Amino acid sequence: MDEGARIARIVIARTAEAAAEPGALVRALERLGRGASIDVVRDAAACLDRCSVGRVDVVIAEEALGRDCRVILEHLRLVGPPVIVVQARRDDAAALQWYRRGAAECVAGEAASGEGLGAVVAEQLARLRALHAAEATEQSLRGLEHAHQSIIQSLNAALLVVDRDGSITFCNPPAEQILGEAAQALHGRPARNWFRMAAGDRTLLDRSLAGGERFKGAEAIIVRRDGVRVPVGISCAPIAGAQGRPSGAVAIFQDLSEVTQLRSHVLQTEKMASIGQLAAGVAHEINNPMGFIHANLFQMSEYVADLRGAWTRVETLRKAAAQGDLEAIRAASEELSAAIEEADVSYVLSDLAKAIRESQEGSERIRHIVQDLRDFSHQDTGERVLADVNQCLDSTASIVWPMMKHLVVLEKHYGDLPEIPCYPMQLKQVFMNLLVNAFQAIEEKVGDSGEIGTVTLTTQPRRDGVLVVVHDTGVGIAPEHLDRIFDPFFTTKRVGAGTGLGLSTSYHIVQRHGGSLTVESTAGEGASFQLFLPLLSESFGAADALT
Amino acid sequence: MTTPREHGPVLLIVDDEPRILSALRRTLRREGFEIFAAESAREALRILDEQPVHLILSDHKMPGMTGMQLLAQAAQRWPAAARILITGWTESIPEQEIRAVGLRAIISKPWDDAELKEILRTAAKELP
Repeated sequence: MDEGARIARIVIARTAEAAAEPGALVRALERLGRGASIDVVRDAAACLDRCSVGRVDVVIAEEALGRDCRVILEHLRLVGPPVIVVQARRDDAAALQWYRRGAAECVAGEAASGEGLGAVVAEQLARLRALHAAEATEQSLRGLEHAHQSIIQSLNAALLVVDRDGSITFCNPPAEQILGEAAQALHGRPARNWFRMAAGDRTLLDRSLAGGERFKGAEAIIVRRDGVRVPVGISCAPIAGAQGRPSGAVAIFQDLSEVTQLRSHVLQTEKMASIGQLAAGVAHEINNPMGFIHANLFQMSEYVADLRGAWTRVETLRKAAAQGDLEAIRAASEELSAAIEEADVSYVLSDLAKAIRESQEGSERIRHIVQDLRDFSHQDTGERVLADVNQCLDSTASIVWPMMKHLVVLEKHYGDLPEIPCYPMQLKQVFMNLLVNAFQAIEEKVGDSGEIGTVTLTTQPRRDGVLVVVHDTGVGIAPEHLDRIFDPFFTTKRVGAGTGLGLSTSYHIVQRHGGSLTVESTAGEGASFQLFLPLLSESFGAADALT
Repeated sequence: MTTPREHGPVLLIVDDEPRILSALRRTLRREGFEIFAAESAREALRILDEQPVHLILSDHKMPGMTGMQLLAQAAQRWPAAARILITGWTESIPEQEIRAVGLRAIISKPWDDAELKEILRTAAKELP
């Protein structure tokens, strides 16, 4: 409430013979711009009664009341309104006593007249107002602080503040929960102890401190002292200090465990969908060598039976020779010749060797396929590692190849690439999606025409990363679809052939790597997917760092 | 038309995988067929053009032209030849296509030797 606009309530305790009339005081206050309502009482009891019933701004008590004047001061000294004591005559010694008793002011003579008293009351009111204002400010500051505190405490996100050295100066309950420790245990300790980074990399907080960088929606991993790993989405910014140097940094982060789980679930679902298609191709690829090995084994056992028949005759001949029975030798020899001819032994021997060789080659092929499968399906550890993108691409191509080989010529132009920090399995999934799409685009274009399409895989080193281009000569993408192909659940494939998640998942994976995935296509002539993966690990997990 | 029984019936085997052809030859060595082998549908068509064939045993998924396409042509041009498909592809071939091509049998890879021989023997016996 505005103190200035309010009517001042004044209680005057005075003897019946008092000089100053209330009317003069009211007029004096009005001239000073204050309205007043004045209550005149005759003793301490009535005065205190007024003070206890309603708000009273100023009490004016006449010294002439004597003991009652003292009682009023005594009662109002600590908790009541200011009391102005009016002396009939100026008496400094008595005034000193009144001040000691808690009088706010002691006036006499001119100052006690209507005019003078008005000024004194106005001054008291002004002082009161200032006091009220200060109290109100303090109260609203306290309220604000309380509000801030409760906002911070009840914030659903974790809040962490560090000083210029990176030591924790503040954290809210969600931060305590994610870091797995109470605030007291965290204060003063370096925040970087909890943020897991690849060797040599600085934490985002440290980068905010050192370079003033701001990050929004970056991802990081917090490792608690008990070893529990918590993936978090983190935004952090420097706190401006003197001379433009950050005086600290503040980070807001959120537990992404559930999001991460959901995401890996979606990735897994998408992977399963693609793997269903691949399985048929791989089964066929294994089936062929299995088929001829199987048939060869059967035939080889027949050959062995044929050879055993001939060998029995050899044994008979050997025994006859040992006995020196010429007649028996001759008979056995004829039988042997007949058996050799019957079994076609020379053919059997040469074909047996050939069947063994071919079966060995077949089993080698199966071993190779299994090796490819193993290379391909090698699970990520959940941490990025340095990997050879050519190898990732090639092992994926090996797996997808059987599915497409009857319709596609695969050309590979691999450049010399530096290893890049990545999740290899996720990259392979991207390559698989691109290759399967390329194949399906060609399949759709050539149909049963007997024509063959071409998929070209090109990799090139770039100054700051690695470029992978998957080009196909398939149906291409309609211009109106180009903007939407990375949208989740967008698909132009027939029902059952695609989940509509392949490219959106791929896009998401590439983004996680800090890279980019773009497409160029002329409808009817093919499409070209360009995938850029950055070399610098720093751009990892801070894909959308603000500058 | 030559009589099939002089040198045994002529069997044309078609597969883009030469090792399969080799294994089939081996398996059918004692079955009394005169065997021709082709590594593609086009090569098979050339052989069919050049001489009489009584049975065709063809793989399905092959580059350029599938086994079903080959057998469909054969059904038009050499209807007397028995047509058998041998395939490792799990995806099923539509029933109406099978009827249109007049397949005598579909054998899945890896094949069972005894079953394969039995199917070919029966087919040979029932040749027109």
